[in-house]
Amino acid sequence: MDYVININNLSKSYGNTQALKDITLQVPKGQIFGLLGPSGSGKTTMIKTLTGELKKTSGEIQVLNMDEDQLSTPNYKAKIGVLSDNSALYERLSIYDNLKLTCKLYDVSLNEIDTILEKVNLIDDKKKVVSKLSKGMKQRVMLARTLIHKPDLLFLDEPTSALDPGNVDKIHQILRELNEEGTTIFLSTHNMEEATNLCNCVGLLYKGIIQEMDHPDNLRYQHSTNQFEVETHDGELIKIENKPENSGQIEQLIASGRVKRMYTDDPTLGEVFLKVTGKDLGS
Amino acid sequence: MNTKRVLAIFEKDIKDFFKNTSLIIMPVVPILLAVFYNALFDDFIPLFTIFIIIGMVFAGVTSYCIMIMMAEEKEKNTLRTLMMSPASFLDIIVGKSLVAIVMTISTLLISIVFLDVYHVFNLQTILGSILLLLFFILLGIGIGLFAKSIAATSVYIMPIIFIFGFSPMFDLFGLEEGHFVNVIFDALPVSLLMQASDEGSWMPLILITIWVVVAYLFALFSYQKNKNDD
Ligand SMILES: Nc1ncnc2c1ncn2[C@@H]1O[C@H](COP(=O)(O)OP(=O)(O)OP(=O)(O)O)[C@@H](O)[C@H]1O
Ligand SMILES: [Mg+2]
Repeated sequence: MDYVININNLSKSYGNTQALKDITLQVPKGQIFGLLGPSGSGKTTMIKTLTGELKKTSGEIQVLNMDEDQLSTPNYKAKIGVLSDNSALYERLSIYDNLKLTCKLYDVSLNEIDTILEKVNLIDDKKKVVSKLSKGMKQRVMLARTLIHKPDLLFLDEPTSALDPGNVDKIHQILRELNEEGTTIFLSTHNMEEATNLCNCVGLLYKGIIQEMDHPDNLRYQHSTNQFEVETHDGELIKIENKPENSGQIEQLIASGRVKRMYTDDPTLGEVFLKVTGKDLGS
Repeated sequence: MNTKRVLAIFEKDIKDFFKNTSLIIMPVVPILLAVFYNALFDDFIPLFTIFIIIGMVFAGVTSYCIMIMMAEEKEKNTLRTLMMSPASFLDIIVGKSLVAIVMTISTLLISIVFLDVYHVFNLQTILGSILLLLFFILLGIGIGLFAKSIAATSVYIMPIIFIFGFSPMFDLFGLEEGHFVNVIFDALPVSLLMQASDEGSWMPLILITIWVVVAYLFALFSYQKNKNDD
């Protein structure tokens, strides 16, 4: 299998603080990989190590078939897109002028500006000065800036944190479309819904260790007690194990007309995280 | 170094320059002063006033402009995005230096036209001005990399303007020849330029070259320090 990101036994320390511990993970082409973890778990450190901004302490990393010493070359930088947690725009310049700079740095035709602004739904605002934009609009401009050179691999460090749900949905939509066109995405988030809705594979990162890693649905099923919970009109709660043999019992219940609500007890990713690490994601 | 990327940075920064009120006033000050001096002294303008204006342009426009541009990119975190692009650090520095050069030369020319003092510019003074431009650019880069914030930059610029920019003024104090204050201020770059104009000699240019080397080492030191901070 051809991996876009291939990490083996990666560790990274800042002095005495070990931020990443013995991480091994592979991201195949076309995946949306999500690092889910609370503040301080090592998400930014992981991304910066992959983008060549930080040097690893030990282990091996290969990104887009390049070794660590090639990660600071213009060749690598031209192939990736990075939206960091503290990215910013030139506030006094217009959206257009901000993107124009990026086009020239990446040797991209200026015609791409309209195409990308269309995509992030900002085409009518292109002459607006950045300082006059809302937070969500700025984030979409930054996303446009990250995408304009059509990177093979996209690194997004908490791309939607502190945005309202409407803007989060817009950004997710853009990322899904992009992924369908073949871009591999590596993102970090502390938001379980983002990880569940967007990612094909999620790594639960806590204290610099990937505790578990799988498709979000699989992570949830694995930690499910695998039961149906049936709430009846008279307030009774009936638990039925989710097995083919029990289908008769379920049919009977439904036929009896007693069923008020019925649901599986699959945990959310947040609950899985809490169960695995003993730590709440929200903090 | 990649010319296309250097020009991209230059284009962005020059546009930004004219939208940044704290930068745009810097060339205005020496030009207004030139107009004022020209009105004040109708036939003979003392040499030191001309060189104070030149010093103000170098300190207030050249150094300050590049310092603010560097410090702002760091403080606002736009530098990181630039560094993640295919542009190299050298592309970024050179692009910004070009802005400082264009603004310095325009301000100098406008001031000189208003002062109407073309006679002070002999060959030595012209070559010396080029060296001075280099010195103040390197000084600005050094401090811009060194400064932690835009606010810190406005503190650092004060001694630069007063010591390096206003050094020709110390002739006014009428201290006796050979007084240590005079010796020190005569050895500062803008004073050396004034001597080159006054005496038409080459010695000041050699001394200015030493200043350029010192500024280069300072910029290099700041660069290394800045790199290790991350
Ligand atoms: N430059 C640094 N020097 C020393 N320690 C650092 C540095 N950067 C991060 N750390 C430490 O490394 C650990 C991981 O930090 P990191 O920034 O990667 O976490 P994160 O998951 O991105 O957190 P957040 O959600 O708050 O952004 C933390 O314990 C942090 O204190
Ligand atoms: Mg972070």
